[in-house]
Amino acid sequence: MTMRTESRTLLELDAVRKSFGGVAAVASLSLGVPAGSVMGLMGPNGAGKTTVINLVTGMFPLDAGCIRLAGDDIQGLPAHRIAARGIVRTYQNVRLFSGMTALEQVLAGCFLRRGTSLFASFLGTPAARAAQARATEHARHLLARVGLAHRADVLAETLSYGEQRRIEIARALGAAPRLLLLDEPTAGMNAQESAAIGRLVHELRDAGLTVLMVEHNVRLVTEFCDHAAVMSFGRLLVAGTPAECIAHPDVQTAYFGHSADAERIRALR
Amino acid sequence: MELFAEQVLNGCALGALYALFAIGFGLVFATLGILNAAHGTYASWAAIAALAATERLGLPFPLAVLAGVVAGGLLALFVDQVAFQPLRARGAGMLAALITSIAFWIILDSLAGFATGQQSLSFPQGSYPARMYHLGTMPLPAMQLLTIAAMLVATFGIHLLVRRSRFGAAMRAVGWNGAAAALGGVNPRMVVLATAFLAGATSGLAGVLAGISTQNVSFSLGEGLLLKGFAAVVVGGYDDVRGAAIAGVALGIAEVITAQYLSTSLRDGITYALLLGFLLVRPRGLFGRAGFVRA
Amino acid sequence: MDWLSDTWAAYQSTLGFAAVNAVLALSTYAVLSAGVLSFASVSYAAFGGFLGAQVMLHAGIGPLLALPAAILAGGVLSFLVALIFLRLEGHWMALASLALVLITRVVVLNAPALTGGVNGLSIPVELPIGVLILLLLLLMLIFQRLAVSWYGIAARAVREDPAVAASLGMSPRRVQMIAFLISGAVGGAGGVLLAVMLQFLSPDTYFVNIAFTMIASVVLGGSYHWAGAVAGAAVFTALPVIAQAVVPAMQDVANGVALLLIMIFLPRGLIDPRAWRRRRAARRRNA
Repeated sequence: MTMRTESRTLLELDAVRKSFGGVAAVASLSLGVPAGSVMGLMGPNGAGKTTVINLVTGMFPLDAGCIRLAGDDIQGLPAHRIAARGIVRTYQNVRLFSGMTALEQVLAGCFLRRGTSLFASFLGTPAARAAQARATEHARHLLARVGLAHRADVLAETLSYGEQRRIEIARALGAAPRLLLLDEPTAGMNAQESAAIGRLVHELRDAGLTVLMVEHNVRLVTEFCDHAAVMSFGRLLVAGTPAECIAHPDVQTAYFGHSADAERIRALR
Repeated sequence: MELFAEQVLNGCALGALYALFAIGFGLVFATLGILNAAHGTYASWAAIAALAATERLGLPFPLAVLAGVVAGGLLALFVDQVAFQPLRARGAGMLAALITSIAFWIILDSLAGFATGQQSLSFPQGSYPARMYHLGTMPLPAMQLLTIAAMLVATFGIHLLVRRSRFGAAMRAVGWNGAAAALGGVNPRMVVLATAFLAGATSGLAGVLAGISTQNVSFSLGEGLLLKGFAAVVVGGYDDVRGAAIAGVALGIAEVITAQYLSTSLRDGITYALLLGFLLVRPRGLFGRAGFVRA
Repeated sequence: MDWLSDTWAAYQSTLGFAAVNAVLALSTYAVLSAGVLSFASVSYAAFGGFLGAQVMLHAGIGPLLALPAAILAGGVLSFLVALIFLRLEGHWMALASLALVLITRVVVLNAPALTGGVNGLSIPVELPIGVLILLLLLLMLIFQRLAVSWYGIAARAVREDPAVAASLGMSPRRVQMIAFLISGAVGGAGGVLLAVMLQFLSPDTYFVNIAFTMIASVVLGGSYHWAGAVAGAAVFTALPVIAQAVVPAMQDVANGVALLLIMIFLPRGLIDPRAWRRRRAARRRNA
């Protein structure tokens, strides 16, 4: 913790606004994600968290505002260029490619670091073959990293939901991101699996990656995130350490509604 | 000038046939997501059925037309249930349905050839209204007026049905997302059946009227309508009945006028030249909106 | 002995047409494998076919030398088509490409200098069946290389989910542009090979029927592997011949019914890599 330069901001959202059909999904949001840290993005359903990820990855254009990656303006770039700049994501509702094995999914994720031109790869020049072998090896390594080495040659859609989520993370890592955006990476996972994802995120951070994760699990955010931000109705309610955010009275209301509901929800957890 | 007016009327009548056919074809494409190559055969078979009803059963004109329309609708239902329903049940996409529709196109075309003895048949004189009305000195053949009226009634009727009724809302819901529509309380199965029947019946009407006015009842009847109706759907847009109708009429007029004043050899060419122009300038059709981008 | 040579002759021409249909089907597969349903292969074939025929007739060169001209013609046309089509949404692209097929015939009819107009074009050139098969094998090799290359991986990703592919750094537009160029080049080649097989081109040669032959071959054979296009073309070409031998009176009906049954029971086609993988997984679980 002491060695990290907290002042450097990798991702910066400046008064970002986006409406769909007159409804503001994100309303004037300003937020900075410090480099080399894990930030948890919280908020009730419909608060605009996924929209933030969609905007940062260039899936939709902004209505107003500015998004910067390490100081460079990236708004208006097409999605694949943003990925090439080092922002890669996963999806709330797992979106793997149908018909591909686990290894092929991750290999597809390695597209950006293939180290050879498409044409050389088609010709199968020795250099291209070597590069492709390296990429395949790297994909295997990434699968092992999410604990799925033994599933490499299995059709991904036949695997369990939790396994599919982990493949998606491995696929995103294949692109060698600087900023990893995880959209509810532990949804539908049990406590043990969730903790494994949390530990993986920590390892990635310690290797220099910046992570922004949408996460509902308050315990996970307090345990694994360095920073937290809470959104409600497209606005930022509060940002700070996870403990600060959760203690904030507005967050209690926004997240759990009335305190009676909060009790009921805690009982469910 | 009178010749011109006459030709415009001829064009409107011809275009009304294209429009009627296009409405059915577009309805299936928009609601069921199927590019149906067999759609032309519904028109051929409707004309054959109407002819049989006239000649074999001696039915009067309105009942013969009704027989053709119902035959077109039932045939569409049958093809839908045999060729498309099994694929829908298995979640196979639009591609497989295109191929089964090609299969039915081959089958029904060939059977239509047998039914007409590989000839071009025609409705006997006196089995359809042949009166000539006059506007000033300009002749207005009854069949042409009838065709245009049928097209207008069908267009407005279906437009109101799709845009204003509960059933139409259900149709649009199924066209957008069948699974979600089912969750929303729409019975997709009924919507599919009704849409298939309606589409077949509309195109069947086009077939019967075209069979009478062109004096040609054969398998080639449907093929001609399919190509021109398809062009009308592309120009007019498949998600709006009015677009297909206007485009159909416009194509009919353009064709007749071109044949009259330019050259008969350009008759077909003008349709497809217009098609190309529209693809370049207005690729979503007359009433097309910018697409809703889905992430 | 005569009987035998007659059978061979008939069989040989079926084989030849199957090979040509396979080339044309591969042209359609090339775009389909990147998520684009397009019938425009017919137009590339027409351009390549007529241009190649003219080159053969006027320059007096053989089909193998006319082939590069046809490939180039198809490629250039597909580039222009892609510039327009890639702006359209999927459903519209399919409709627009079918419209292009209809337009192609009008253009063919109105460009008699290139196409012979209504009279068509006679091409007294022959290509040995062995050479044709060799060309197809070469093309299959190319498609196999494409499939295992980074292009193939990107094309599969773009086909399955363009938005996700883009978020991994693949440009769907660029991938589909390459797909169009491959489709155009292969379509142009298929067009001139068809011309040589038929030895006569009419305005109806490159029309709706060949469009449906291409797409039916690909889907029938399986649109998730290049081998599907080849297998599908073989079956689709052989079906009418078999139907004629078995039920001559109702050959078209039998042909259609066979096509219908195959698609209903194998909607993903004869060759389906996903089904193989599922079966392999099931075997492993049982073992």
